[in-house]
Amino acid sequence: MKLTKAFAVILALVFCLSAFAACSGPVNYAENNTEFVIGVSGPLTGGAAMYGIAVANAAQMAVDEINAAGGLNGVKFKLVAMDDKHDATLISTNYSALYEGGMQVSLGTVTTAPGLEFKNLSADDNVFFLTPSASGDDIPTNPNGYQMCFADGNQGKVAAEFVNANYKGQTIGAFYKSDEAYSKGIYDQFKANLDASVTVVETNFTDANTSDFSTQIDTLKNCGFIFMPTYYTPASLFMTQAKDILAADAVYYGCDGFDGIDNIDGFDITTIPQKVTMLSHFNSKATDGMAKEFIDKYVARFGADTLNQFGASAYDCVYAIYGAMKKAVDEGKDIPVTISASDLCEILKEQFNGGYTLAQGVTGENIKWETTGYVNKGAIQYVIKEANQAE
Amino acid sequence: MELFLSTLINGLSLGGIYAMIALGYTMVYGIAKMLNFAHGDIIMVGGYIIYVFMALNNPLLAIFMAVVGCVLLGILIEKVAYKPLRGASPLAVLITAIGVSYLLQSLAQIIFGSANKMVTVYDFGSVTILGVPMQVSALVTLGVTVVVMAALTLFIKYTRLGRAMIAVSEDKGAAQLMGINVNGIITITFAIGSALAALAGLFYLLKAPSISSTLGAMPGIKAFTAAVIGGIGSIPGAMLGGILLGMVECISYKITAIAPYTDAIEFSILIIILLVRPTGFLGKKRREKV
Amino acid sequence: MMFKKFNLNHYINYIVIGILTVVLSVITMTGGRLDSSLLFLLEKIAISIILAVSLSLVVGFLGELSLGHAGFMCVGAYIGGKVAALLEDSLGNGLPTFLIALLVGGGVAAVCGIIIGIPALRLRGDYLAIVTLAFGEIVKSLFQNTSDETFGGALGLPTPRFDKKYLFIIAFVLVLITLAVVQNFIRSKHGRAVTAIRDNEIAARASGINVTKYKLLAFTLSATFAGIAGVLYSFSNYTVQSAKFGYNYSIEILVMVVLGGMGSINGSIIAAALITFLNTKLATVLTGDLAVLQNLLYALILIVIVIYNNAPALKSFRDRYSLSVLWKKLIRRKHDPATHKDDEAKWDVVPTKIEMNEVLSIDVVPPEAKGNTGNGGDD
Repeated sequence: MKLTKAFAVILALVFCLSAFAACSGPVNYAENNTEFVIGVSGPLTGGAAMYGIAVANAAQMAVDEINAAGGLNGVKFKLVAMDDKHDATLISTNYSALYEGGMQVSLGTVTTAPGLEFKNLSADDNVFFLTPSASGDDIPTNPNGYQMCFADGNQGKVAAEFVNANYKGQTIGAFYKSDEAYSKGIYDQFKANLDASVTVVETNFTDANTSDFSTQIDTLKNCGFIFMPTYYTPASLFMTQAKDILAADAVYYGCDGFDGIDNIDGFDITTIPQKVTMLSHFNSKATDGMAKEFIDKYVARFGADTLNQFGASAYDCVYAIYGAMKKAVDEGKDIPVTISASDLCEILKEQFNGGYTLAQGVTGENIKWETTGYVNKGAIQYVIKEANQAE
Repeated sequence: MELFLSTLINGLSLGGIYAMIALGYTMVYGIAKMLNFAHGDIIMVGGYIIYVFMALNNPLLAIFMAVVGCVLLGILIEKVAYKPLRGASPLAVLITAIGVSYLLQSLAQIIFGSANKMVTVYDFGSVTILGVPMQVSALVTLGVTVVVMAALTLFIKYTRLGRAMIAVSEDKGAAQLMGINVNGIITITFAIGSALAALAGLFYLLKAPSISSTLGAMPGIKAFTAAVIGGIGSIPGAMLGGILLGMVECISYKITAIAPYTDAIEFSILIIILLVRPTGFLGKKRREKV
Repeated sequence: MMFKKFNLNHYINYIVIGILTVVLSVITMTGGRLDSSLLFLLEKIAISIILAVSLSLVVGFLGELSLGHAGFMCVGAYIGGKVAALLEDSLGNGLPTFLIALLVGGGVAAVCGIIIGIPALRLRGDYLAIVTLAFGEIVKSLFQNTSDETFGGALGLPTPRFDKKYLFIIAFVLVLITLAVVQNFIRSKHGRAVTAIRDNEIAARASGINVTKYKLLAFTLSATFAGIAGVLYSFSNYTVQSAKFGYNYSIEILVMVVLGGMGSINGSIIAAALITFLNTKLATVLTGDLAVLQNLLYALILIVIVIYNNAPALKSFRDRYSLSVLWKKLIRRKHDPATHKDDEAKWDVVPTKIEMNEVLSIDVVPPEAKGNTGNGGDD
């Protein structure tokens, strides 16, 4: 009785309200914008929060700088960041909230797994995105998607080339997370490009056990070189547990997921005797150039805890988008503040596919994009985060 | 030989932790006849208490506080969430237990954030035995587990309280008629289980110095698996099941091809055991009372 | 239950959902525009309703706890998604593809339901809960570690997304089908057999009810619809990523069923819609670590509702102050037996394995329930 009535009333109300709200949706959600809106979805909480926060902070910093310098012909920019907890299922909600909130251009997602959902949703509405750090090979496959970071396949390949050159005929170890797109993606490419003479002792872990690695360490205990395409949290745990078991002159070699490993609260990387190296396009210990400027500004405003290449990359992304828009305006294109995301996407695509170059970035010089959406910038720097320490 | 030894030690030490947790399950199940789903999360709470008190840099104090804190928490949960449901349907109790587990996890996440916290309780370093380098903490875990198990067995067999526990698990009504305070015994069971969980939390921190709000969820479920394998309600069974499960897990991780399926393997074992021998290896067959 | 007049209460949920689906469909069909956020929300609500109603069959009516509902959904999502991806080239991404995917996905989930239903015959209570949980984790783990070519492995399975303008219509049609099947099942003699098993298995067996058959039937039916929800999920997303189908998701579905009142289909529907709505809204409102408040809320809902409704000590309190009693006092209306609904929430009587010595006292039917046509959620 009461339940039935309540049922009818509640459902009817919800649906009617939503139906009314529904009919009035504008075709161009940006038509009431007073600033250009840049949207991004990233993990602001959870295990990968350091990346999302870095991206949100650094992008906000770039936006503020651009605005302080007068924006695009007087029109300012606004950054909207949403939390996806590194969970792909939240993307449809986040994306539609961003899009219907007037987002005209996007930084995509911060991590790969949610990005696989985001890239298609944004393709449906033709929203341009340039992701700072979602490095999956499949991320930029739609015409509207571009990457600022190196794709996973590329990272795996470069790592394999490094191993081929330095460890020919030797045995190396590999440690990755078998149920994670990022980790597995890099590892597969690494293995595919590896010289036949190199023997790999591989071991992996899954979501069910992300802290106790004693068995994995035991498997790798005789390896002098360990390739570790994982995020920083499991990597730091592995190193802590393995520090006395592996040879003191062993080398850890990680990809961009290692970024921030020297900033974890409670983990002191100097207590790890082994050498820790990583592939990166950003040197967080840089002492000159744009990178140095960026580091100083970032640390002064947000502290050093979340300083990493994801932020640096996001900072470049905002400047790249701004630069491309400015170039289009200079070439006579009309970009009003209420431009629809789709129209802006066409303009930006034309720029990015037409050889637009970010001359000076924190993560490289003369950054260009291929029409496939992959980035083309100077050779990957091979940054040694922590030299071998004598104990 | 080297491979065998290292896998053996790793398996035993992991199995020791599982056994420790499984003991808590098995005792509570045996006496309160309920699956305390929140048991695994008490491990996590213990870990966080250690994390908080390690700010004072005194490992022994931190461990002591963790045990005391977990015991109090265990008693509190029993009084607030489970006791009102005594006599209600088992389904209601089980759902409440799941609710408590969820509550503890989300509270921990609200208080400590969702990122992992790192804390080094004590760095035992490593030692080389027969040419195999291994973490001393694994050996310590193993040693403490054996001592605790022995003590618990003696306690249950030879003390008045222990025998009262057996009596309650056999027949609540008869135990009550014999003058045993059944509610008191159940409370004590929860207290002992929680103390063991706190120790398990400590061992996890010794193994890997990192803690997050879901630390206890998986080990909790796996320890339940261990308890079932050994025969639920049986203390030696919990030990046997824990060790077996730990060994299986370590061996499975060792074989790269099946390593990603480790969980699936462990859970398949659980299902098979339940189908083939629901009483586990050492459990007693109980006839359903009509 | 033989000659009944048309009872509006029995059909109200079909009517309401049907009308609203038609209204919204007309809007989109006639060129009206609906925001994608609304469309996504409607899809999610439909999926949740199917999941909650199907789980309610096992938890509320059979009285067994399944913690692997997300596992069945996972099977449906992967199998259905894979079928759709294979058929996309030849059949296109339209209704035929969807229907085939639905049949295959639902079918495989049904088979899994039978496989898990078999232990269900031997086990009960806590053991069964753990087996279903284990099943969910096994399924998740298996799909997570498949190769890229088969089910996408860690990268997830890319699936064709159905046109969002029409998917919600199909989704709600599926909701109606689910309701029709589940409600008719419950209101039939099969349903009464199932609730009889819940209330006292031994007595049910003694009365000649084929316990094995009905348990398996309820389990399989429930798994099938979870599989269908999974297929729907794969069509409403571009990728199926196994991480979603963990234990937490099973709990979320359980929360819907518990919040709605076990043994109440309408309650499950409202709770599913409400929780899904809150989930999406909270996700956009609560950021940072506050987002966990959502989980805290679920936990409290579970604990408070279950204790309130089940604690023996609170029984007299419930009898005096329960919502329905207060409601009756408020409108000063006598209880009219004719309007008594079979699947109404009846909390103090829900799932128990009553021991024989208690059965005697249970036989005393409260005067209120006497006019009942006999069946569903009553004792």
